[in-house]
Amino acid sequence: MSYIGSDILARELKKGSAELLILSLVEHQPRHGYDIGNLIEQRSGGVLRFNVASLYPLLYRLERRGWIQGRWVEQAGQRRRRYYKLTAEGKRVLAAQRDTWREFVEAIGRITGMEHA
Amino acid sequence: MPDWKTEVRQRLAGLRLSPTRESEIVEELSQHLEDRYEQALRGGADAEEARRAAIQELTESDLLAQGLSRVERPARFESVAPGTPRRFGMLGDLKQDLRYGVRMLWKNKSFTAIAVVALALGIGANSAIFSVVNTVLLRPLPYREPERLVMVWEDNSKIGYPRDTPAAANYIDWRDQSTVFEGMAATADRSFNLTGAGEPERFDGKRVTTNFFSLLGVEPQLGRAFLPEEDAPGASRVVVLSHGLWQRRFGSDPSLVGKTVTLNGEGYTVVGVMPQGFQFLSQDVSLWVPMAFTQQQAASRGNHYLEVFARLKPGVSVERAQAEMSTIAARLQQQYPEQNTDLGATVVPLHEEVVGNIKPALLVLLGAVGFVLLVACANVANLLLARAAVRQKEIALRTALGASRLRLVRQFLTESVLLAALGGLVGLLLSVWGVTLLKSFIPPNISQVKAIAVDARVLGFTVLMTLLTGLVFGLAPALQASKFNLNETLKEGGRDAAAARGGNRVRGLLVVAEVAVSLVLLVGAGLLINSFMRLRSVDPGFRTNNLLTMSVVLPPQKYPDQARRTAFYTDMIRRVEALPGVRSAGVTNWIPLVSQGDSIGVTIEGQPAPTGKPNIIVTRVVSPHYFDAMGIRLLDGRAFEEGRDRIDSPCVVVVGETVARKYWPGEGALGKRLSPGKPESDADWCQVVGVVRDVRQMDLAAEPKPQMYFTYEQADFFAPRHLVVSTEGDPLALAGAVRKTVWEVDRDQPVSNVNTMEGVLSESIARQRFSTLLLGVFAGVALVLAAVGIYGVMSYSMAQRTREIGIRMALGAQKWDVLKLAVGQGLKLVALGVGLGLVGAFALTRVMSSLLFGVSATDPATLATISLVLVAVALLASYIPARRASKVDPLIALRYE
Repeated sequence: MSYIGSDILARELKKGSAELLILSLVEHQPRHGYDIGNLIEQRSGGVLRFNVASLYPLLYRLERRGWIQGRWVEQAGQRRRRYYKLTAEGKRVLAAQRDTWREFVEAIGRITGMEHA
Repeated sequence: MPDWKTEVRQRLAGLRLSPTRESEIVEELSQHLEDRYEQALRGGADAEEARRAAIQELTESDLLAQGLSRVERPARFESVAPGTPRRFGMLGDLKQDLRYGVRMLWKNKSFTAIAVVALALGIGANSAIFSVVNTVLLRPLPYREPERLVMVWEDNSKIGYPRDTPAAANYIDWRDQSTVFEGMAATADRSFNLTGAGEPERFDGKRVTTNFFSLLGVEPQLGRAFLPEEDAPGASRVVVLSHGLWQRRFGSDPSLVGKTVTLNGEGYTVVGVMPQGFQFLSQDVSLWVPMAFTQQQAASRGNHYLEVFARLKPGVSVERAQAEMSTIAARLQQQYPEQNTDLGATVVPLHEEVVGNIKPALLVLLGAVGFVLLVACANVANLLLARAAVRQKEIALRTALGASRLRLVRQFLTESVLLAALGGLVGLLLSVWGVTLLKSFIPPNISQVKAIAVDARVLGFTVLMTLLTGLVFGLAPALQASKFNLNETLKEGGRDAAAARGGNRVRGLLVVAEVAVSLVLLVGAGLLINSFMRLRSVDPGFRTNNLLTMSVVLPPQKYPDQARRTAFYTDMIRRVEALPGVRSAGVTNWIPLVSQGDSIGVTIEGQPAPTGKPNIIVTRVVSPHYFDAMGIRLLDGRAFEEGRDRIDSPCVVVVGETVARKYWPGEGALGKRLSPGKPESDADWCQVVGVVRDVRQMDLAAEPKPQMYFTYEQADFFAPRHLVVSTEGDPLALAGAVRKTVWEVDRDQPVSNVNTMEGVLSESIARQRFSTLLLGVFAGVALVLAAVGIYGVMSYSMAQRTREIGIRMALGAQKWDVLKLAVGQGLKLVALGVGLGLVGAFALTRVMSSLLFGVSATDPATLATISLVLVAVALLASYIPARRASKVDPLIALRYE
C-alpha cells in the first residue's frame, strides 16, 4: 500500500466494516474493549488495527444505538472491566449487515474479477 | 506505572461530559491502556517503550475527542459536587443547592421531622399571636379616619377616676366652647326590654346624640341614621338596630325599617339597621336610640354618666386638643367651683382607649412567642451543628474540590432556609388552628375579637419570620462547618479535630442561651401564675359559691315609680325564696365585679366637705336579705329589716368598714348620719345602723373603694337590676325555676345574664386568665425545647467521649465518677444559662408590672422556684445520657471506631 489512494481506501474500508467486525466479535460472548481490539488485530493478521482513540468512540456509538450493551463486571483478583454483549436489536442489525456485506463483496468480486473467498 | 487516567482525562476536557460518564470512560480507557502497557512489558519492551506503545493508542488525541464528541452528549447541567467553583452563575447554583438540600433533608427524615416540629411550634405560635396583635392593635378601627377620633373624659384623679364619665352640662360646655373638634358626641348606656312576639328579652342599648353615626362615619346598611331634630325631648321615638339583633330576632326582615317595635313597653319606629360588626366601645350593643337632654339634665353637673367622643379637625394633634380642653375645664372649674373643682378633661385617642388595657398583655405575649421561636431556633441550630460535625468529611471533600467558603455557607443556608420553610408551612397550618383556639380564650369584651383571622399581613409576617428563622439558626452551623482544618479532617480518625471542639463550644453556648431564654419565659409565666393564684384567692368580701345571679331590669315606663318597683321586687323575692333549694334571695343595682358605676357624693353630718371635694361613695341599693344571700358579713349593728326600714320610716344606711374607719375613726359609725347629696331638711339625713365588710365592687384586683348600702324601699336614686339567689346546691339547676317565678309576677319581664357568682368572678378575670394561660403554655413549650436541647448536646458530647470514658473506666473510674463528670458538664451549662436568664428576667419582667397582682416583677420566691425547676429539668436531661455513658463497657468503648 504505497500510494495515497490505497491509504484512503483502507481507511474507508476499515470504517465501513468496523461496526460489522465489532458486532460479530460480541455475537457469541461478551467481550471487553481491549479484548475486542486485540481479536481484530490478531484475526486480521495485523491488517486491521483499532487503537483506543478509534475503538471506543465506535463502541459507545453502538451502545448508544442500542446494538450492544456494556456492563461493568468484576472478577476475583482483577480490576473491573466493561464487557459488551450483543442486544436483540444488535442481532438483527448484525444479520442485515452481514447480508449487505456479502452482497457488496460479491458485487465487488464480480466487477473486479476477484474470486470470492 | 504511568498515570493513565490523567492522560485520558486531559483528552476529554473539552467535552463537558457529566462527571459520572466521564469517570466511566476514563476508567475503561485507562484499563485498556494499562492492558496494552502490560502486554508490551510482557513482550520484552522496557517501561518507557511500553508506555510509548500504550500512549500511541491515544495519539491523534483529538481523534478520541472528535470520535467521542460525535457519540457522547455533553452533560446538560454542570452537576459537579456542590461547592466546587461555579461555572454557571447564581441561579444555577441556587437550583443546585435547593436540589441538594431537598435530598439531604429527605435522607435524614427523623432529623428533618424533629426540626420541622420545633420550628412549626415556634413559627405557628408567633403567627397566631401576631394575628391577634394584627387585628386588635394594628388594624385601624372600623370607622372613617379613625385616627382622628378621640374620647374625652372628665379627669377626676383626685378621687381616683382619671377617666370619669362626664356630666351632661360639662359635655355641652365642652362641645360649645371647643374649636379643635369637627364634632363631639355623647352616649349613655340604657338597656331595653323587647316585648311582643316571642319571649321577652333584654338588650343592652345606647342612647346617643344624633350625630353619633355621622361622626363615626358609618352609614346604616338599611334605612337611615338619626336626624338632627330627633334628639329633642319628646320627639318621636326612633331606633336603629344592630345587624345581629335584626338577624336573630327579626329574621333579617328587609321591610323592618318603618315598622314599630315595643321597647320598654313603648313603641319605637325602626329607622335603620347598622352593618354587620358595627360596635362602639361596648361590644354587644343591640340598638341605639336618640338621646335627649331635658333642661334639668342639661344643667346637671353632678350626675356623671356620659361617654363622650369627638372627631379632631384635620391637622389638629391630640396634644393641641388636650391643651384646649384643659383650658376649658379650668374655666369651668372657676365658673362652677361647687361641682367642678379638681375636675379636668382628658383627651384619649380612641384606639388607645379601645386597646389600652389588653395592649401590655398582647405585647408581652408577642415577646414571649418571639422567645419561644428563639429557643426553637437554638435547638435546630444545635441539631444542624451536630449534623455538620457528621458531615465534615463531605465538606472536606468539597473544599478539596475547590469549593469556596462563601459557597459552602450558601449551601448550608439554603438547607436551613428550606428547613425553615417547611417549618413555616406547618406552622402556618398550626396558627390557623391556634387562632380558632385563641379566640375562645380571649375575653369577649376586647374589641374585634370576631375579626381575628390569618390574613395577608399575618401571612407576610410568617414568611418574613420563616426566612429570618432560617438565617438565624442556619448561620452558626454554616460558619462553623465552613471553618475547619482541611488536612486534619481528611486524615483518618479526624473526628477529634479542633473544629469538633469548636463545634462543641458553640453548641454549649446555644444551650446556655436556650436555658437563659427559657428562664425568662418561665419567670414571666411564674409571675403571672403567681398573680393569678393570688387574684383567685383574694377575699372579695362575699361568698362566691352557690350563688345564682341574673338581671331583672324593670322598664321605667311600666314601673315608673319606686312604689311599683318595690312591689314587684318584694313579691318576686318572696316567691323565689319559697322555691325549694333556695336559702335566700336579694336584689341590688349592681352585683360586684360587673360595673364601675353608681357612686354618690355624700355629706357627712358634722364634717363639712371642703369645696368641690365631695365624699364620693360607691352606692348599692339592696333588698333586706341581700347581705345574707351574698354572705356579706355584718361587722357591727344590724342589716336592713323587712317591715322596719320602710319608705315612711327614718332613712337608714349600712356602710362598709372603710367608710366607718375613714369618717368616724375610733368612735364607731353606728348612730352617725350622712346624706346622699346635700341635705335640705332633717329628713334627708340617713342614720348608720350597720357596718359590713368591704366588698370588691369594681375589680377583684383593686382595693375596695368606700361603699354604702341603702334599702330599695327608701332609696329611689338607683333602681335594682340584679337578682342574687343563694342556693342549697348547684345554682344553675334552679335557674329555670327562678326565671319562671319572675314570669309569675310579670309575664313580660325579661330575665337575662343568668350566671353563677363564680362565673361572674371568673369572667371578671378573663383577661388575666388569658395571658396567664398563654404565657404558661409558651413557657412550657420553651422548657420542653430547652430540655431537648440539653439532652441533645449531652448525649452527643457523651457519644464523642465514649473512648475517653472507656479509658477512664479501664483505669479504674467508677460509674459514679463518670456520672459526676457528665452531669457536671451539663450543670455547668445550665448554671451559666440560669445566671444569664436571671439577669434577663430582672430586666425584662419589669415590662409586665401592669399585668401583675400582689407580686413584684422581681419576686425572689418565683425567681428561686423557677431556677430550681429549670436546674432539675436540666439535671434530668443530662442524667440520661450520662447514665448511658457510665454503662459503657470499657472493652467496647476502646474498640469504638
